[in-house]
Amino acid sequence: MTTSDEAVAVLTVEAPPVARERSRWRFALPVGLLAAPMLAFLTYFFFYPALGLLFSSIQTQDSRGIIGRPFTLAHYARLVNVELYARVLWTTLRISIITSALATVLAYPVALVMVKSRPMVTRIITLIVIAPLIVSVVVRGYGWQLVLQNGPKGMLNWILMTLHVVDAPISVLYTETAVMIGSLHVFFPMMVLPLASALGKIDPNLEDAARMLGAPWWKVFLRVTLPLSMPGFVAGFTLVFSLTAGSFVIPAILGGASAVMLGNLIEQQIFVVYDWPFGAAIAVVLVGLVLAVNGVSMWLLEGRRLRRPD
Amino acid sequence: MDERFSGFGAFILYTITAGMMVFILAPLLLVMAASVSDSYFVTFPPQGFTLKWYAKVLQDRDFLEAMRLSILLALGTTAGSLLFGVPAAFALVRGDFFGVAAIKGFLLSPLIFPALITGLALLQVLNKLGSTDARLNLLIGHIVVTSPYVIRTVVTSLQLVDENLEDAARTLGANRLRTFWRVTLPQIASGVAAGGLFAFMVSFDNYPVTMWLANSEYSPVPLVLMRQLVNVFDPSVPAMSTIIILMAMVGVLILEKLVGLRRALAA
Repeated sequence: MTTSDEAVAVLTVEAPPVARERSRWRFALPVGLLAAPMLAFLTYFFFYPALGLLFSSIQTQDSRGIIGRPFTLAHYARLVNVELYARVLWTTLRISIITSALATVLAYPVALVMVKSRPMVTRIITLIVIAPLIVSVVVRGYGWQLVLQNGPKGMLNWILMTLHVVDAPISVLYTETAVMIGSLHVFFPMMVLPLASALGKIDPNLEDAARMLGAPWWKVFLRVTLPLSMPGFVAGFTLVFSLTAGSFVIPAILGGASAVMLGNLIEQQIFVVYDWPFGAAIAVVLVGLVLAVNGVSMWLLEGRRLRRPD
Repeated sequence: MDERFSGFGAFILYTITAGMMVFILAPLLLVMAASVSDSYFVTFPPQGFTLKWYAKVLQDRDFLEAMRLSILLALGTTAGSLLFGVPAAFALVRGDFFGVAAIKGFLLSPLIFPALITGLALLQVLNKLGSTDARLNLLIGHIVVTSPYVIRTVVTSLQLVDENLEDAARTLGANRLRTFWRVTLPQIASGVAAGGLFAFMVSFDNYPVTMWLANSEYSPVPLVLMRQLVNVFDPSVPAMSTIIILMAMVGVLILEKLVGLRRALAA
């Protein structure tokens, strides 16, 4: 073998992997540094403030509004022990859980139809489900205020009375039901999208096989489709629960005084009462609730390896 | 109709789906119908047809001022989150350093954190810093909330880039910057555009962070609308809402054209 042949062999066989290996190695440091500005920005304006809030929640505010020592857990105790505040906590939990459950039951059929229909139908459903997501929550809350308006001039009451379902106008606005309806409307896409993506990944042959072996449609659904779509369900439930629990606008517009949620209580404590430590403590409880649910969902999805269809 | 659904199961599925479509659209359509109704109060069914409420809204100084502020804020937020987010996404996809996964988790964490609390915590820090310019405070808050969206969309599109093309450009003598500009960027352009548009829309509609950082002098559109809801009962409120709905629809259509909606949202 001549030297030039060897050179050709080296160039064609050996050279590319070596070059790539080296370039990746040299790339490592500068490429990583590109994340530094974002990291610094979020550390200073997101992570550090969040810790600051946690810190304020165990401190005391004096009569001049200055927050400092002594450290105390009294604000947390107040949230749990004072009935007025404890009720807000329960209302928040109740509304979030019922809204997420409702969203699951109603999103399942929509996601199924979305995934398994002809492309045109899929496209239209996707557009209708997603489009409102980008419309301001204030506008959507207002829309429901118009629909649910108490008295005979509201849309729902007009329809119910015209159809003679009821004789006198019903009062839905400014109740927990109204908040649940509004939250369902606002966060419904967050349930449909993960469900549709999980359903889309299921191998249709599995369902066909079950059907061919004689299973009726409901059994195919319960034994094949439902278990395989669990990751989408867990992701969707977590999203809807977290977003509902942390909402402010919908309970403010649709809940009135009878469905105050944690978000509204925090706003009141900060802007009206100026009680920062108590406001911070409620905020920490809210964050803890949301992070706990997210943690459980991550454990379900990854730790225990809930069977992913991919 | 798909053969997979048949009989009673199909009937239930399609009925619930149709019902949910009505549920989703009803309040928005009602708002739009109310905005052209010729009455002094919003009532159902809407009566007559007039565009006078739009005329009133377009002369409302508060609303126009808020519109201007919201658009400028959203533009600034878009620029800021792209400036921070695109390089960060690049680092997350191409970087081969220790703790990439943890850093990615950290950079995306504002997405699962309740935005209401993000705003409150930021307000406390900005108060301590003595930062009283509401416009600057809003810009910072909005960048915190929108940059994860940019990072997520750009990461997704970067993962689809063919690295062989970059290697080819480098082999042919292009330097790193030129390679990025002429080879990588064109491939991720739609992802970057989608991320930017997303940042714009999230900023424009944001309430939970905005409510803490705005003041009476600088109030973006969602806050002004919320104030009007409580104080005004004529159809100028639905007219304002309709303008916002139409703007959102334009955004949605552009997003759908750019990357496809489901990819943009569920990525």
